Amino acid sequence: MILTKQNLMPLLRNLTGAERDVFVPTQVDGVSKFALMDKGTVPDFEQVNTTMPPKDLLFPQTQKMYHFDVDANGSYRIHEYDESREQLVFGIRPCDMRSIVCLDEVFLTKGFVDEFYANAREKLTCVCIGCASAAETCFCASMDVDPQLAPNADVMLQDCGDVYNVIAQTPKGEVEVAAWAPFVEEGVVEPVTCEQSLAVSMEGVVDKLEGMYDHPIWDNLSIKCLNCGTCTYLCPTCHCFDISQDMRRKDGVRFRCWDSCMFSEYTMMAGGHNPRPEKLERVRNRFMHKLNFFERRYGMSLCVGCGRCVEKCPVALDITRLIDDVAAIG
Amino acid sequence: MTAQDTIRARARELLENGEVTTFIGWESGRFENQTTPLVITDASDADKLVCNEYCVNTLAKYARDVVTRGKVGMVVRGCDSRGIVRLINDQVINREDVYLIGVGCAGVRDRKTGELLKKCAECRHGDPVICDEMAGDAAGRPQPSERFKEVHEVELMTQPERSRYFEGVYAKCIRCYACRDVCPCCTCRECFVDQRRENWVGKQNNVAENRFYSLTRVMHIADRCIECGECERACPMGLPLMKLNRKVIKDLNDLFGEFESSMTLDEEPGKLITYDLVDCEEFM
Ligand code: SF4
Ligand code: SF4
Ligand code: SF4
Ligand code: SF4
Repeated sequence: MILTKQNLMPLLRNLTGAERDVFVPTQVDGVSKFALMDKGTVPDFEQVNTTMPPKDLLFPQTQKMYHFDVDANGSYRIHEYDESREQLVFGIRPCDMRSIVCLDEVFLTKGFVDEFYANAREKLTCVCIGCASAAETCFCASMDVDPQLAPNADVMLQDCGDVYNVIAQTPKGEVEVAAWAPFVEEGVVEPVTCEQSLAVSMEGVVDKLEGMYDHPIWDNLSIKCLNCGTCTYLCPTCHCFDISQDMRRKDGVRFRCWDSCMFSEYTMMAGGHNPRPEKLERVRNRFMHKLNFFERRYGMSLCVGCGRCVEKCPVALDITRLIDDVAAIG
Repeated sequence: MTAQDTIRARARELLENGEVTTFIGWESGRFENQTTPLVITDASDADKLVCNEYCVNTLAKYARDVVTRGKVGMVVRGCDSRGIVRLINDQVINREDVYLIGVGCAGVRDRKTGELLKKCAECRHGDPVICDEMAGDAAGRPQPSERFKEVHEVELMTQPERSRYFEGVYAKCIRCYACRDVCPCCTCRECFVDQRRENWVGKQNNVAENRFYSLTRVMHIADRCIECGECERACPMGLPLMKLNRKVIKDLNDLFGEFESSMTLDEEPGKLITYDLVDCEEFM
């Protein structure tokens, strides 16, 4: 099945309805992100990937967990929140679809199910658009992602120039595409090959990192890091959170919010001990988690090659250079 | 000999002679016209140093982290040198902890567009205010005519317009704290945002908490801000942070007379930490 690019906007306008929220890549006050599609929204399908990753659709930066208070008899009451809604994200890219594979592993497997994530995930439909061209900082092809494929998307739209190949990949996707009938037609076209100028070789890197815990590379790298939260907050796979509360006398809200392993306060223990006291330990942790620990635990890289941290780090600390440097070590 | 050649040669000498333990400058990044900060300890790495019109990072703050390893050599332009003055005057480092190689700066360009960076278009001091030696000549760039142009624009808004404008601004902040972490004035051993027990600022991301964080920081660096513009450049969400810094600086100028922070090692103590009987108290 194919969808012509002329039919893209008419289709999108048809998808928005009261029963679910539709998110598209767009510019909001100069920041590119996935935002709720309404009448005035101008989707931006030209930009390769958004500055803000789509992870907040499943894992909001701040998420209420429960409200608590004390009733007239002095006993505690707890009200749980479930703010999940049916959501459709249209135009998510293959690197970001892969990031959802990583998040699913963290939040849904190994005997731990995060209910908030599970509820949101259940209600999310993903329409992925493949990439015909890459940004300067994209290197997903080096991280085992095909820029025109995303097996976990409900619907895959492969960019073939003037048209998209429409591929329903899940039962949810089949229901979705069935409703697109007025906008799609029969046919299959050869997808455009996406050229990426940035490439790294992960050959041997995971194993090498195993023996590199005390290697001088971490000092050289971390010395220029600011320990800000830019790379972790913009990373589609970073998923650390903190739980805190907003209290007013006898009632309050417990919420969770994104946290970052780059912050000194992240590993601070009650009593004042900090097992990752300096930049070196924090930077090492971030890259080890991306390129080694996650691989060991879940059998995949926690870096999907989206290039956001490469693009936005204020000191140009570049994960692709680290990968090259590790690969070059004899 | 270009300034870059001089910097490489001098960095090599300083490291070889043991006059400094580390040297801070820039090196090329992976992409065209990209640079990234470089800290070296080995004289044989001196040839990695670059100095060109794409050296976007202000280096001063690194001196704070690196002085623990011994004396630091570094390249300073106007902004870097004022950051160093700030660190010294705030007693974060000592003058003798650093050996400064000055270089005149005509402004830094965006590596993709080739345009002068906003912070550099607004910069009033391209040449170092202190250094131990110069590599090449001062640039002697003319100062931009209007220091508070952006502040005037905000002041012209009506109150409801202003409030809407800043709501929009703070809705974008992701609280990554890059603005704090890059700032040469933000050198508190423990930042108020990290004091979890006191919980001055909640961890939830919303306009109220984001604004509280940002305005508290603005007031905390008010009379020390060197106007390097690094906070605004580093912000991944493009918040117009210099509007706030300059608003406070403008108010301080109006209340206490015109000043620029961090121009000399013997500057007067900050306007907001000193008390004078003639201080204006317009609200009493
Ligand atoms: S690597 Fe860059 S973005 Fe990440 S914490 Fe360090 S300075 Fe910030
Ligand atoms: S580490 Fe960087 S390149 Fe890799 S997925 Fe995260 S943001 Fe993207
Ligand atoms: S750098 Fe920008 S996004 Fe990050 S905390 Fe500061 S104002 Fe917010
Ligand atoms: S507040 Fe911004 S402009 Fe002022 S000194 Fe800090 S980083 Fe520079």
